[in-house]
Amino acid sequence: MSIAAVKPDQGTRVLSYAGALLETMDAALADHANTFIMGQGVDDFKGIFGSTTGLAEKYGAARVFDVPLMEEGMTGVAIGASLVGDYPITTHIRADFSFLAMNQIINLAAKYRYMFGGLMRCPMLIRIVVGRSWGQGAQHSQSPQSTFAHYPGLTVVMPSSSQAILDMYPAIINRHPGPVISIEHRLLYNLDFTVSPSEHRVPLTSYVARKGSDVTVVATSVMVLEALRAAQYVEDKAGISAEIIDLNSISHPDWDLVAASVRKTGRLVVADTSWLEYGVAAEVCRQLVMRDPGLLRQPPTMLGMAPAPCPTAKSLEDIYYPSQHETVDAILVQVRGDNHGIALPVERSMTEGYKRFRGPF
Amino acid sequence: MKDEAIYRRLFRTALLIRLVEERIIELYPSDKIQSPVHLSIGQEAVAVGVCDGLKPDDLVFATYRSHGFYIAKGGSLDAMFAELYGRKGGVSGGKAGSMHLAAPEVGLMGSSAVVASTIPHAVGAALSFKRRGLSQIAVAVFGDGATEEGVYHESLNFAALMKVPVLFLCEDNGLAVHSHRPVRQSYRLAEHAASFGIASRRLEEGWDMLAIRQATLEAAAKVRAGEPFVLEIVTSRYKEHVGVGEDFHFNYRTSDGVDAWKRRDPLIVDQKLVATLRPDIEREIEAAVAFAEASPAPGRDELLADVI
Ligand SMILES: Cc1ncc(C[n+]2csc(CCOP(=O)(O)OP(=O)(O)O)c2C)c(N)n1
Ligand SMILES: [Mg+2]
Repeated sequence: MSIAAVKPDQGTRVLSYAGALLETMDAALADHANTFIMGQGVDDFKGIFGSTTGLAEKYGAARVFDVPLMEEGMTGVAIGASLVGDYPITTHIRADFSFLAMNQIINLAAKYRYMFGGLMRCPMLIRIVVGRSWGQGAQHSQSPQSTFAHYPGLTVVMPSSSQAILDMYPAIINRHPGPVISIEHRLLYNLDFTVSPSEHRVPLTSYVARKGSDVTVVATSVMVLEALRAAQYVEDKAGISAEIIDLNSISHPDWDLVAASVRKTGRLVVADTSWLEYGVAAEVCRQLVMRDPGLLRQPPTMLGMAPAPCPTAKSLEDIYYPSQHETVDAILVQVRGDNHGIALPVERSMTEGYKRFRGPF
Repeated sequence: MKDEAIYRRLFRTALLIRLVEERIIELYPSDKIQSPVHLSIGQEAVAVGVCDGLKPDDLVFATYRSHGFYIAKGGSLDAMFAELYGRKGGVSGGKAGSMHLAAPEVGLMGSSAVVASTIPHAVGAALSFKRRGLSQIAVAVFGDGATEEGVYHESLNFAALMKVPVLFLCEDNGLAVHSHRPVRQSYRLAEHAASFGIASRRLEEGWDMLAIRQATLEAAAKVRAGEPFVLEIVTSRYKEHVGVGEDFHFNYRTSDGVDAWKRRDPLIVDQKLVATLRPDIEREIEAAVAFAEASPAPGRDELLADVI
């Protein structure tokens, strides 16, 4: 599957998400002598699903190195190095493991600039990967964007395409003044995208991934792809024009952009990779209601994980996450009402579309 | 320099720390300092001896109990009092208070109120020094209680693996809040460190500034050569854990240990030197208090500054 995040034009090429990560990691090490990458397995043959492969050989063990199982300690080490001028990049192959680093991320990194009145800064990039499908289960599947975005001092992004990585990472690494958490999605790693030479098309905030006029879909991460596929389907089958906004930055979205779109369409679907409760979906509604309680013509539709820990059985996992079927239905219901009468795609399991991810991890 | 001159220099800094904290005790009932204070009275010799044994560009990563390290590293007294007062002229514009003193210009790289949380920062700074081929060392300052936290273990392991120039400095006052060390620890710090291949030393004479300075010089030399080191210094916290009072009447400890310590405390024993140095130091402190009093309070303009 190849999905264009941008309109193909001069100089486009096809690049996988993992390939985009590898290119940006490589460029960061080449361009900035103060940058180093550490994490469990960054220098092994799997190289964080191909995103760091070969870099230890190229830049040496002082700049790309494995660490013991010490999520909190590693993050503290990164803060210390950052405080003296380094730019550390750390990795967690599952977001769930970054919870062991919560103390350093939330109590220290997020606070250091403010708590010391601007005396200290600890810019760094924390890359964490959300797992999904192939039985990831309760502890390999969590998507903590709203958790992290809740804390002032953290910048949280969720790149949904190779283009987003090519555009954002160079703007973050060694440039952004504070700690940034990038929540990458495992399902995206092996997908190919059409990319253009980086002209910062994807900003460090929200952007319109597809223009439309009938309904606004605010989506995050892999759900942006799902929304794009659904938008194509409803256009083909029903001539519905869905506008897709990739929220992209969870901590610093462009709420004016979202509000302007909803003002135009009056209809809203939010498609997030996590739970709805106290999450992105809730924040989207807060932002809209605070601007103008009359923006929506009808109650919005919310797509996210079912309010339970993630089950392992495929039959349960398939109904735990929103399917392509449900994403399409959400858009149709918004525009045509409950009895829209339009046939839904046959695909019930969203991960059918990501066949290349065959596990195990 | 002769020991006598060094002693006098150390003594003056230690006395400055003590008189600053005694001034804080006097001011506290006025509510001008609205910040939890963890006094280091009784422990000054550690900060003074250690910082004097370091080079000026060696970095210290500290804790909420860091008035002593801030002053011993050379932080501005005016900015410290203004910080305690929550004023704009404070070292961090009033956003830090007593528990988060920092003075990066003299190598105090922040202090945290989450126990043990700055220990890995020292390791990270040391890692950077090593990669860049610098001769600086980083010092993690922490209490005996902090060694119970997992991140202490993680930090020692990583420092030993990477052979980074970090000095782990444990201020052993035998207490974590009101809890005594034997009920908290099933290990011995030296043996624990040795299991990582990290050399250590325990100095019982934590009132002796010259001995602490000497121990630091020796430890720092090893660290600078590329080996992490654990230096444990026994000390005594005279005051309550947090706040400006005493706490013997709560009966979780007797005053015996503190009394014995006071009989050896140079700032108590050497009254002649105290009398000589005191007037000058008091003028310095009064000027800092006056600076704080005159400094404006931060407001709306500062509330949302420096968040990201
Ligand atoms: C992670 C964490 N747990 C608990 C506390 C509450 N607390 C504050 S100081 C302290 C005792 C720490 O003892 P020690 O490390 O020996 O330092 P000391 O106060 O004796 O200087 C505790 C438990 C805290 N601040 N942080
Ligand atoms: Mg203690």
